[in-house]
Amino acid sequence: MELDRNYEIARVAEFVRSGGFTRVALQFPDELLKDSMKVVKALCQELDSSVKLYVMADTTYGSCCVDEVGAAHVGAECVIHYGHTCLSSTSTIPALFIFDKALISPSNCARSLLDHGPKSGKPILVLSGLEYAHAMPEIKKMVASDVSSISGSTSILELLYADVCCSVVAPSETCTFANQIGAGSEVERECPADESGQSYNIGGLSWKIPQGQKMDDYLLFWIGSDSPAFANVVLTFNNCEIVRYDATEGGLVTDVSQSKKILRRRYYLVEKAKDANMIGILVGTLGAAGYLHMIHQMRDLITQAGKKSYTFVMGRPNPAKLANFPECDVFINISCAQTALLDSKEFLAPVITPFEAILAFDRGSQWTGAYVMEFRDLIASTPVEREQSKEARFSFIQGGYVEDLDQQDDDEVEKDEILSLVNVTEKALQVRDEESRSVMKNTAKSGAEFFASRSYHGLDINNTDSLPGKFLAGRSGKASGYKDEKAEISQS
Amino acid sequence: MVKFTADELRTIMDLKHNIRNMSVIAHVDHGKSTLTDSLVAAAGIIAQEVAGDVRMTDTRADEAERGITIKSTGISLYYQMSDESLRSYKGERHKNDYLINLIDSPGHVDFSSEVTAALRITDGALVVVDCVEGVCVQTETVLRQALGERIRPVLTVNKMDRCFLELQVDGEEAYQTFQRVIENANVIMATYEDPLLGDVQVYPEKGTVAFSAGLHGWAFTLTNFAKMYAAKFGVDESKMMERLWGENFFDPATKKWTTKSTGSATCKRGFVQFCYEPIKQIINTCMNDQKDKLWPMLQKLGITMKSEEKDLMGKALMKRVMQTWLPASSALLEMMIFHLPSPATAQKYRVENLYEGPLDDQYATAIRNCDPNGPLMLYVSKMIPASDKGRFFAFGRVFAGKVSTGLKVRIMGPNYIPGEKKDLYTKSVQRTVIWMGKKQETVEDVPCGNTVALVGLDQFITKNATLTNEKEVDAHPIKAMKFSVSPVVRVAVQCKVASDLPKLVEGLKRLAKSDPMVVCTIEESGEHIVAGAGELHLEICLKDLQDDFMGGAEIVKSDPVVSFRETVLERSCRTVMSKSPNKHNRLYMEARPMEEGLAEAIDDGRIGPRDDPKVRSKILAEEFGWDKELAKKIWCFGPETTGPNMVVDMCKGVQYLNEIKDSVVAGFQWASKEGALAEENMRGICFEVCDVVLHADAIHRGGGQVIPTARRVIYASQITAKPRLLEPVYLVEIQAPEQALGGIYSVLNQKRGHVFEEMQRPGTPLYNIKAYLPVIESFGFSSTLRAATSGQAFPQCVFDHWEMMASDPLEPGTQASTLVTDIRKRKGLKEAMTPLSEFEDRL
Repeated sequence: MELDRNYEIARVAEFVRSGGFTRVALQFPDELLKDSMKVVKALCQELDSSVKLYVMADTTYGSCCVDEVGAAHVGAECVIHYGHTCLSSTSTIPALFIFDKALISPSNCARSLLDHGPKSGKPILVLSGLEYAHAMPEIKKMVASDVSSISGSTSILELLYADVCCSVVAPSETCTFANQIGAGSEVERECPADESGQSYNIGGLSWKIPQGQKMDDYLLFWIGSDSPAFANVVLTFNNCEIVRYDATEGGLVTDVSQSKKILRRRYYLVEKAKDANMIGILVGTLGAAGYLHMIHQMRDLITQAGKKSYTFVMGRPNPAKLANFPECDVFINISCAQTALLDSKEFLAPVITPFEAILAFDRGSQWTGAYVMEFRDLIASTPVEREQSKEARFSFIQGGYVEDLDQQDDDEVEKDEILSLVNVTEKALQVRDEESRSVMKNTAKSGAEFFASRSYHGLDINNTDSLPGKFLAGRSGKASGYKDEKAEISQS
Repeated sequence: MVKFTADELRTIMDLKHNIRNMSVIAHVDHGKSTLTDSLVAAAGIIAQEVAGDVRMTDTRADEAERGITIKSTGISLYYQMSDESLRSYKGERHKNDYLINLIDSPGHVDFSSEVTAALRITDGALVVVDCVEGVCVQTETVLRQALGERIRPVLTVNKMDRCFLELQVDGEEAYQTFQRVIENANVIMATYEDPLLGDVQVYPEKGTVAFSAGLHGWAFTLTNFAKMYAAKFGVDESKMMERLWGENFFDPATKKWTTKSTGSATCKRGFVQFCYEPIKQIINTCMNDQKDKLWPMLQKLGITMKSEEKDLMGKALMKRVMQTWLPASSALLEMMIFHLPSPATAQKYRVENLYEGPLDDQYATAIRNCDPNGPLMLYVSKMIPASDKGRFFAFGRVFAGKVSTGLKVRIMGPNYIPGEKKDLYTKSVQRTVIWMGKKQETVEDVPCGNTVALVGLDQFITKNATLTNEKEVDAHPIKAMKFSVSPVVRVAVQCKVASDLPKLVEGLKRLAKSDPMVVCTIEESGEHIVAGAGELHLEICLKDLQDDFMGGAEIVKSDPVVSFRETVLERSCRTVMSKSPNKHNRLYMEARPMEEGLAEAIDDGRIGPRDDPKVRSKILAEEFGWDKELAKKIWCFGPETTGPNMVVDMCKGVQYLNEIKDSVVAGFQWASKEGALAEENMRGICFEVCDVVLHADAIHRGGGQVIPTARRVIYASQITAKPRLLEPVYLVEIQAPEQALGGIYSVLNQKRGHVFEEMQRPGTPLYNIKAYLPVIESFGFSSTLRAATSGQAFPQCVFDHWEMMASDPLEPGTQASTLVTDIRKRKGLKEAMTPLSEFEDRL
């Protein structure tokens, strides 16, 4: 049956039985919600009646992550996650991921791979979107048979396939991660190399390249759509040549310059973030392992840079939500790798990723072109020592050297606390010039200061006009068009 | 053949009355550097023989290659005056040893920031004017700058050799030309009446004008000749000088002086008779190799030639003879020593221009008295890249006190505000250096009145700064310099190898430091932009960037990019409305162009956010015909809160309006920075808030709802008000002979330029042409022009104004719409403009 195959009912049942789970949460993305009842029914038939199933929908954050908070509400012991996922590790609950199964023509794909492969003369690394993972064995087989059928020239073709690491994520794994972090691998995104070569892991795909070879030498062959997962790969391996096989179109897309543009754009956002005084930390996940650690790390980083941070917990950020905090010059979106890249010109302030924040706020770190998306790599890459050069910072946004005065101020605060207190008091008691109260974003150093610079501070209590106001007739009608407005329209 | 050692020099540096700090300023190609070199030759750094052939001051390879000066160079010279020549000197002095700190500055308009920096640290200026070309645009510009800084000028009429060899004009005609040149310069100087500085005009009869031939290394002032003839006529030197200029005629037949030409063939003007003709005679004799005639003449003049020099022929002989007879160095140096002020004199009146703080505090007093024992006041006017890559010398002038190696100094940057900690550092000077062209000498300390280069402060000085002693916490900084050009030409740079990016970033930082006029920014798309004052300037900057600041890592540069502005032609055709994301708030707006001249007034700072509202509404009402009440309802200016666009409140009786004001302002700042057409800055648009409907609940009319809506409605009103592009336009000034005019006109036509003034320079075959030329068309203009006029025309371009492009950017296929598409493509935006329907909503 189609349903059985797509939703892997048997495997899910086996997972639940073997784990001995009695309360199971099923997480569906919006587009698969319509099938949820059927899935539940099918599962019920397979499982004991003692197992309780809960359907979770409308995830607060990206639907690619496991909604651990939602699962905790029903006290679920495990989560079955359906649909597109970022395969971020969870922090408390084990989860089983059931991927989408998108249609693909394996023969066509294999042919494209073989046609394009030899052109570059490089070894090829085949990566696929998780929705095509089900077709990978078949593609591998077809390629292998094709290679053997065309003898001779194809022997040059070196193929390497990335595997889906594991569709089950247990929280215990994160502990081992933490251990690794403690050990501190020196290069980000690369796990410690063993004898057979280096292993890589991105977005649930893992592979190992033989020793003596670099990622830059490979041609990346991506099977799948232009999804966030693909964008991550492009950003992370931005030095590699990348082609994409689009399964719905059935053809190759070799021009991925758009993605390179994204990288340059991110670079701009980093430069812009350097000028920020107030930073909003957006908590965009409550599930992905290490998010708490990341929030703390960001806060420390910002304080060290002499800037002010505010933490916001909100569901998917949109321009209207973020514009409610015009005092923030930049937002850091802490979320799973695939929902982290938010770039829209509609946002009043740029939204950057934690990696970009480290680049921006850690004086001395440089944009080298390397790009890191996932927390665990980032935490590992925390700079150990940093050179505190006191040179004025060069701002490319303002086109000149600017002063990060806070840094200096803080230094002195430590030296002489009593004096600093006097200074602060003095500043607070200064007579402020009324005229200078225009909204100058970049001058305010804290939310309070920003608020003070606004022209409107709420109701004016000191209004001396003691006479009661006149009684006025208000508006009537609906917000989408009040009655007086309707009248205007009919007139015109 | 170094005539002095660093120690000797250091001794003179203490004699503040015997120092002259001066810059050499002129129009491009009027011979500053060549003239300077003959001075350097006299001060002994290079041998006398090669003066005129090697340009000592152009230390860069590209300068030598192009034959123009790019960076200003400072050199310290030493000169010993004779007792005789100092006899009539009235000022204070200490013996006869003089130190001249000379700065040779570039003449090309693209580098005028260098001139500004040079003027700040000097007290006098030697204005060099080509005797044939006369006073040109750049002469005037820099002269005005100099006088604005209270710098006393002396003039030299240069390239005299052209009169004798090239043009072969007779005495009277030459006199008229010189007279006109001097008059033209005096016209400019006369506009700077300054009681403290006194009369700044120049007079040949007072010895403040020299006549020079830089290439041949000779020059004279009337003083030279007056000395020669005074004894002969038995009159006073000063009396003689007066006779040698102006309406004084002498008839050798009658041996009588008259104030009018008597009409007799032998009656000639004093200048012609006694200065011009003798020189002409000598030159002609030399050129014709009439050595038998030459030697007696030289003997009469008291010139003794070395025996090997006597074998020279023609031009070489002439050069040698003239150099021996009238050495350029002594004429010019004596003129400068005699007529330009010493630091001690100059700082008395310059302190007002220099010091920002109260003029009666100890720092002002120390500057005024040029007190070496007072607190240190040092102004760093520029950063000079050092030979070890990446480091800079901080070059400047000590106005008071002494700076020494190891001294801890307080560095006050351009943004320093007394009493605050912003832009303030305390650091030790690693080394103090005196800078002499190609040579640097380390000295123990440098007292006030001198120029100095400091090592070890480059990390803390961005472009310029004021230095003082560590403990002088109440000192105010010295005023920042104002530059007369602005960076309008931009290119995007990229490194060829992606991994060189850190090098590029570092290089750009250094480039920005080395040149106050270059601006390094980043585009929205992530491209690095370098902006400069002109094509040439940019070319030099990029060369420096690649070779010096990036260690030769290759860069790729885009074609020059010009930034545009977005404006509107008419009032919006209707009141447009946008709804907030929750559909519960509505903003109604209209856009209209500002009154003519208003945008400029805002640019100049005559109208701005910090104005007194009463003053502002008065200006707006009187000059721009605004309603007085309305003028009080300006919400803000933008972009960057000071730009030439504004939002005006036209609403009547709207509730909660003051509550959303900040949000609308924020939306406007954002929108006016990135216009709807191509995300260029807006200019000259007035947005009127016509009506506002807000939700009764405060949470539903917060910033999140109103800011994006304000932005959208601003875009909608811009699009409905016939949006137009503004392009930057240069004022071009070209000087060329008549036969080149045809070529000039055809090149200008082809480049969309138009001539608005054409004037013949009286007494010359030269024409002066002024034209407007769109900046975007100016790339390659100089070279095209040179090709079309066989090198006879050389343009000077300065940004003048923004001009509206007539074509409609919304209509596909027009020039403006192509431009918009190009800009959007470059910025990585969607090529098609966002349609109005995206911004405007309907009920």
